[in-house]
Amino acid sequence: MRAVSESSRPETDAQRIAEESRDRVRFEEEVLELADQVYRVARRLVSTREEAEDLVQETYARAFRSWRSYTPGTNLRAWIFRILTNLNIDRGRREQRAPATQPIEEGDYFLYNRLEADSGVEDEERIVQRLSQDRIVDALSSVPHDFRDVIVLVDIGDFTYQDAAQILDIPIGTVMSRLHRGRRILKQELAEAAVGEEA
Amino acid sequence: MFDPCAKCEEVLQPFLDRELSDAEHAQAEAHLDQCAYCRRRYRFEERLRMYVRQAWAEQMPPDLKAKLAALRTPLY
Repeated sequence: MRAVSESSRPETDAQRIAEESRDRVRFEEEVLELADQVYRVARRLVSTREEAEDLVQETYARAFRSWRSYTPGTNLRAWIFRILTNLNIDRGRREQRAPATQPIEEGDYFLYNRLEADSGVEDEERIVQRLSQDRIVDALSSVPHDFRDVIVLVDIGDFTYQDAAQILDIPIGTVMSRLHRGRRILKQELAEAAVGEEA
Repeated sequence: MFDPCAKCEEVLQPFLDRELSDAEHAQAEAHLDQCAYCRRRYRFEERLRMYVRQAWAEQMPPDLKAKLAALRTPLY
């Protein structure tokens, strides 16, 4: 009996190791397929391209190291983005700006109303095109980080409110209020930028 | 007094984020069908979002993917 069990164990171990290797390779390939999305979000969480590259590399190094903590069948995107946002917070990359103290506009229609009033046209496409792409990038960087993180996850990462809550480890109500306030701040910046362009 | 345009403005963001319940979504759509004022502002918001996403999108540097692949655990 002993001889049988000893001869079968290496085979079982070998099988187990081979299976684990296959699982790991599959995991690594799946996670690498998300690299474009991870970079796009990282790029807007930090200020420079170099910082974004560093952050993405750290994220992947950690993901590959801790692949066993991922439960197959669960949301892999949310899992990797959680590593990304945690690393971003841990590394103290967030030179947190003071929250905007100026009162923010109350309604969601105000940007349209403002731009329409300034330009005298009603065509939505033409009104949008009055905003320069550079100004839009600048406007996002002036949104405080807590708000910006949620906007970036929902608008660039295409996550639901529920997923964003899970990634950032905050209640869904906080996701909604930060998104709401963050977008208002963004629109306020855009309104000012558009007026600035006119001057 | 219930102001349908104010209500429509209030749900603009969750509407576009596809986070409204079916009933809320249908209610907003019914109002948009008959209100040119809100419809124009919703269309503006939709275009603004697309425009903003384009402005924020930046392609991953081509060599980064190779750097990430190099971080994989060696097989042997």
